Amino acid sequence: MSIRIHEGKSAGTEVTRRSFLRTGTAVAGGMAALAAALSPLKDLKPEEEFSLEKFIQKHYKEMTPDDMKGALDRITREVEHRYKVRPEVRDMRPKAGVEFVYALNLSRCIGCRKCVYACVEENNQSRAPEIQYIRVIEMPRGTLDLEKGNHHYERPTVPDGDHFYMPVQCHQCANPPCVKVCPVEATWQDDDGITVIDYDWCIGCRYCEAACPYWARRFNFVKPEIPEADINKDMGYLSNRPRPKGVVEKCHFCLHRTREGRLPACLEACPTGARKFGNVLDPNSEVSQILKTKRVFVLKEEVGTLPRFFYYFDERYPRSLDPEAKQVALSLGYTPGAGGWTPPAGDPARAIGGGEVAR
Amino acid sequence: MSGAGRTSLVLWLIGPAFLGVAAYLALVAPPATIPIGEMKIIPSDAVKGGAWRQAKVDARGVVAGSDRPCSECHKLFTTPPGENKALVQHKDIVMNHGMNTRCLNCHDGDDRDKLVLHDGTTVSFADTPRLCSQCHGTVYRDWQLGTHGKTLGSWDAKDEKHRRLTCNECHEPHSPAYKPMKPLPAPTTLRMGDQSMPKEHHGKESPLRRRSASPHEGGPEHGEPAEPSQDKTPMEPGQPAEKGGGK
Repeated sequence: MSIRIHEGKSAGTEVTRRSFLRTGTAVAGGMAALAAALSPLKDLKPEEEFSLEKFIQKHYKEMTPDDMKGALDRITREVEHRYKVRPEVRDMRPKAGVEFVYALNLSRCIGCRKCVYACVEENNQSRAPEIQYIRVIEMPRGTLDLEKGNHHYERPTVPDGDHFYMPVQCHQCANPPCVKVCPVEATWQDDDGITVIDYDWCIGCRYCEAACPYWARRFNFVKPEIPEADINKDMGYLSNRPRPKGVVEKCHFCLHRTREGRLPACLEACPTGARKFGNVLDPNSEVSQILKTKRVFVLKEEVGTLPRFFYYFDERYPRSLDPEAKQVALSLGYTPGAGGWTPPAGDPARAIGGGEVAR
Repeated sequence: MSGAGRTSLVLWLIGPAFLGVAAYLALVAPPATIPIGEMKIIPSDAVKGGAWRQAKVDARGVVAGSDRPCSECHKLFTTPPGENKALVQHKDIVMNHGMNTRCLNCHDGDDRDKLVLHDGTTVSFADTPRLCSQCHGTVYRDWQLGTHGKTLGSWDAKDEKHRRLTCNECHEPHSPAYKPMKPLPAPTTLRMGDQSMPKEHHGKESPLRRRSASPHEGGPEHGEPAEPSQDKTPMEPGQPAEKGGGK
């Protein structure tokens, strides 16, 4: 640096008072600027975004049991500091002989979005800005055209009779494009078929988000906001522990629940039983029976991702929406009204109760 | 000015310039805003897991205020098996079960604490699948395989917590069809949120808008200004446009 200062006079290393002051001031100014630029670092507390422990933590697959214990302790401390609740963080490993598959009955889904918010609550997803793993797409009846789909629908009640509903979340592909594009191997497919993310290893490049044809991945643009009272204390290292800013997250089939035998939160919240989950390697499991007996399909089969998430219809229409049933009701003399169908006078159904019939 | 003088002037200015920028960022510049929206609080009850309705496992408390078995009253009153009459009690029961409009099709006329099959066998209130299977055979078959209905506890049938819900834990037996219900609010996530963008984009209809907001009757049009919806969380204007082509 000092070479330029002596330019033109002599190429020697002679230091004059003038050049010393010039150089000194420039260096002092530069140092001050550097200090100013780094000053936000001094506000970081070890319990928050950055700690040496986290910085030197190894990749998930290279961690020894002791390393993992240390990491879980650190996460517990961080969560306790941030949300004032003491969580129970575990590291759940896949079980042998288990491959998870999801099946969703589109004839039964009514688009109530209960699964969406059950997932948000279970998985400690950011409330502001909102992060949701499940998108419920509303499509006109008689088509499976995603271009006509709408996930912003707001209706007084669902189903409305002219649309059907298709919830989309991570499909846990057997040939996952998101895993292929990750430059740091922060996301991989586990033995039970669940594609997981190590939030401590993710660098936030968002390649996986772009690679996913189902738009299943979400990025934390800011530090997630979760009300302290709503924190789910049952946490898994690879699943629902609170995420830092700048990492990608997605549905993981509630692996902290399913790897110990429980069912995903979205399934438990579904009021209609449209969601089915189980082990496809067990020939008698519910999902195996569905694959055997129902006409199932996968979303965007042509992109070759081999999803473990299957959709099926088992009725042409839910009974309440069946146009043929409406024809039958009309021919029997039922009159349609705002609240539903009214049976004709003299019908026994009228004598019992009010004869109010939901549509 | 000589070349050397200019160089030294630049060097003189670098430090103060950096300091000026740092001071500006620290003191003057407004913090960068990310449109995070407001927090939407969904009550836990709305997404509680479990059976959709509380099924009766024993024949109790059907009449308001009573916690006695059905037979306590019904040994005093008998219902003729023929025509149905307007009832004094049980007026809250809404019948919408197709042609199945007779009480004694399912309820046992002799033992009011039981349900009855076509062959006269009585079953308990907790054993509705056997009763319903008499008419709904295909659904019963699906239910046995686990492809109809809801399972709770565990996905593993060998787990003792694995429990398949019975018919009346989802369906109200007198009016079994599901009633329409109010959906929970639409997403306002950064990528999925209210994509406020002009209808016209360089004189053309915006392709993003065309895709993300499908035509739907009655609902608020997306991107339409000055129409704040009650259900929607207000978002700050200048949302990032939907990435990935709105799909």
